[in-house]
Amino acid sequence: MRNLVRFVSMVTLITCIGTGIAYGKELPPVKIGAQGPFTGDLSKIGLDALNAIQMAVEEANAEGGIKGRKIEVAIGDDMGDPSKGVLVAEKFGMDKNVLGVIGPMNSATVSAALPSYDRAGLVVISQSATNPDLTERGYRVMHRICPRDDAQGPAAARFIAEVVSAKSVYIIDDKGAYGQGLADQVAAALNRIGVKVTRGQITLEDRDFSPILTRVKAVQPDLVYLGLSNPAQAAGLMKQAVGLGLSARFMGGDCMKEKDQLVAGAGGAAEGMYITAIGRAIAEVPAAREFVKNFEGRYGAMSVFSGQSYEATKILIEALRVAAGDNPAGLTKAKALDAVHNIRDYKGIMGFPISFDEIGDVVGASIYVYQVEKGDFREVIEYPAEV
Amino acid sequence: MEQIIAQLPQQVINGLTLGSIYALLALGYSMVYGILRMLNFAHGDVFMVGSLIGWGVLQLFIKGGAVAVGTPAVGPGPVLVFMVCGAVLATSALGGAIERFAYRPLQKGSRLTTLISALGASIILQNVAMLLTQGRAKAYQTELVISPDWAISALGATISATRIIIISVSIALMLAMDYAVTHTMLGKAMRATSQDREAAEYMGIRTSRIISAAFVVGSGLAGIAGVMIGLYYTQVDFMIGFSAGMKAFTAAVLGGIGNIRGAMAGGLVLGLAESLGVLFLAPVYKDVIVFSVLIAVLILKPQGILGKPLDEKV
Repeated sequence: MRNLVRFVSMVTLITCIGTGIAYGKELPPVKIGAQGPFTGDLSKIGLDALNAIQMAVEEANAEGGIKGRKIEVAIGDDMGDPSKGVLVAEKFGMDKNVLGVIGPMNSATVSAALPSYDRAGLVVISQSATNPDLTERGYRVMHRICPRDDAQGPAAARFIAEVVSAKSVYIIDDKGAYGQGLADQVAAALNRIGVKVTRGQITLEDRDFSPILTRVKAVQPDLVYLGLSNPAQAAGLMKQAVGLGLSARFMGGDCMKEKDQLVAGAGGAAEGMYITAIGRAIAEVPAAREFVKNFEGRYGAMSVFSGQSYEATKILIEALRVAAGDNPAGLTKAKALDAVHNIRDYKGIMGFPISFDEIGDVVGASIYVYQVEKGDFREVIEYPAEV
Repeated sequence: MEQIIAQLPQQVINGLTLGSIYALLALGYSMVYGILRMLNFAHGDVFMVGSLIGWGVLQLFIKGGAVAVGTPAVGPGPVLVFMVCGAVLATSALGGAIERFAYRPLQKGSRLTTLISALGASIILQNVAMLLTQGRAKAYQTELVISPDWAISALGATISATRIIIISVSIALMLAMDYAVTHTMLGKAMRATSQDREAAEYMGIRTSRIISAAFVVGSGLAGIAGVMIGLYYTQVDFMIGFSAGMKAFTAAVLGGIGNIRGAMAGGLVLGLAESLGVLFLAPVYKDVIVFSVLIAVLILKPQGILGKPLDEKV
C-alpha cells in the first residue's frame, strides 16, 4: 500500500513537471545585433540608425515577431573604432540567440569585425560601409545594401568633370579605410578623365588644418575633395579654409550628409558644397512616406542612414521568417545566412527592389549628388551605380 | 620650389599662432615643474576644460540672441572678454582644486605617487568632459565673434583677425608673466621656492601658498589658451587636451623645463618647426617633425634652449 502511494505521487509529480515544461517554457526571443557608433563623433548617425532598427523590430513584434518568437535588439556600440568593433563582434558571436547583425556602419569597423563574424557564421547586413574590399575578401556572412566606393568615386569624378567642369582638384583624405579608399577611387577616376589631381593627407585626430590648407592654397585648385569619415572634421576644415582666405568649392562622400555636424557645425562655410550619397534622401521616396512620418514623429529630423538601417532590419526579419518556416524553434545562424543571401527583389522603402549578388553586394542601387543650399541638401543629379 | 616660397609667409603666420598657444600652455608645465619637480599631466585637460567653458559661454550669448549673424546686439569685444573670464575663472579654480586634493596630500610621498595622481586627474577630467559632451565635437562659432572678413593680406599670406588677436594676447601675457616673475614679490617668492623650498620657508615664505598660486596662475593661462585654440581650430572636443598637452610639455622641455622664458621660446620654436616642416614634408608627418626637433635639441643641448645646467643639490 505504501509503495502504491509512493508510486502514484511520483507519477503525479513527474507529470506535473512535464506539463509545466511543455506549457510554461516559451521559445527564447530572437536577437538582432545592432552595431554602430552610438557614442562619439559619429553618434548622431549611429543613434538615428539604432532608432530606425528598433522601430523596424517593434513593428515586426506587433505583427507577431518571427512566427510567434519575439524579436529583441542587442546593442553593440563600437564608437566607430575598429578595435572596439572586434569586441562587439566577438560578443554577438558568442550569444546563441543573436541570429543576424545590422551594421557595423563604418568600413574600418566592418573590416576589423568581419573575421569574427565569419568564424561565428553570423550574417551581417551593413547599411553604410562602402569600401569595395569588404565584399571581395570572400567572407560569406558579409552583405550590404549600399553601393560601393568604386561606384561612388567614378560618379563623383564624372560630376566634377561634367557639371562642375573643374580642371584641377585637390584631394584630402584621413588615412582611414573609408576616407582614403574613397579618395583613391575618386583620384583614379579623375586621372582617367584627365583632370589634374593633387593629393594630401590629414589624420583622424587632426584639429588644425592650416598646414594642409596652406598647401591647397598654393595649388589654387578649382575644387577640393574631402575623403573624410568625420563630418565634424570636414566642418572644421571648411571653416579654417575661410580664415585662410581659401575660396574653392568643396565636395565630399556619403557620410558627410549630416546636417547637425556638417552644415550647422560649419556655420555657413558648407554652403554650396557637393556631396555624393549612396541612397536617395528617404523623404523623397514615395514608398517611404509612412516610415518618414512615423520616424520623425518619434525622434525628430532623421539623418542620412536611418532609411537604410530600417530597410536592412526589415530584410533581415523577412529572411528570418523565411528561414523559420513552420518551425521557429529550429532557427539557426546557418539558415538565417542562407535566407538573407537568397533574398530576391525585396520591395521596401528604398525605391528600388533589393537583391544581393554572389558576394553580398546590393544590385541596382544609384549614386546621387546633393548640394548644400540654404542649410539643406538639394538633389542635383542621379547616376546609376556602376563599377 | 616656387610653391614652397609662396607658402612660406602663411606657414610662418600659422607657426606663430600655434606657437604662441603652445607657449602659454608650456608656461603652466614649466612653473609647476620648476617649483615641485613634478609633471602636471592634468594640465592639458585643464586647458580642454577652458576651451569647453569658453564654448559654453558663447552658446549662452547665442541663445540669448546677443550674438547673431548680421545684427549682433553685443559687439565681439565684450563677448570675447566674457568667454575668457568664464574660462579663466573655471580653470583657475580647477587647477587650485587639483593641487589641493590630488597633489598636496601626496607631497610627502615619492615623486612617482604624485605623477600617478596627476594621470588619474587627467583621466577623470577627460571622462567627465566626454560624458557631458556625449563625446562629440563642439563647433566654436568663431565667425559670429570675429568676422572672417577682418583680415590682412600680405605677401600671399592671409592674417585673419583671430590670428592677430591670438598672437598679440599671448605676447602681452608672456611679457606680463616675465615681469611678474622677475619684479614682484610673488615672483621672487616663486623663484625662491623653486630654488630651495626649505630655505624659502626659513625666510618666512609660505611655500604651500606659492605652490597653490603657481597652479592657479598656470591653469588660468591654460584657460585663456583653451579659448584661443577654440577660436583658432573652430571646434573643440574632449580629446584636444592630450595632443596639445604633449606639444606644450615638449615645448617646455625644449626651452629648458623650469625656465619661464625657456617655455615661451620653446613654444614658439615648436610651432614654427611644425609649420615650416610641413613645407617640405607631408602634413601628416607634422608630429614627427616636432619630436625630431625635440630629440635634436636634447642631443645638442640636454638642458634645453635656455635651461641652465642643473647644479648638484647638496
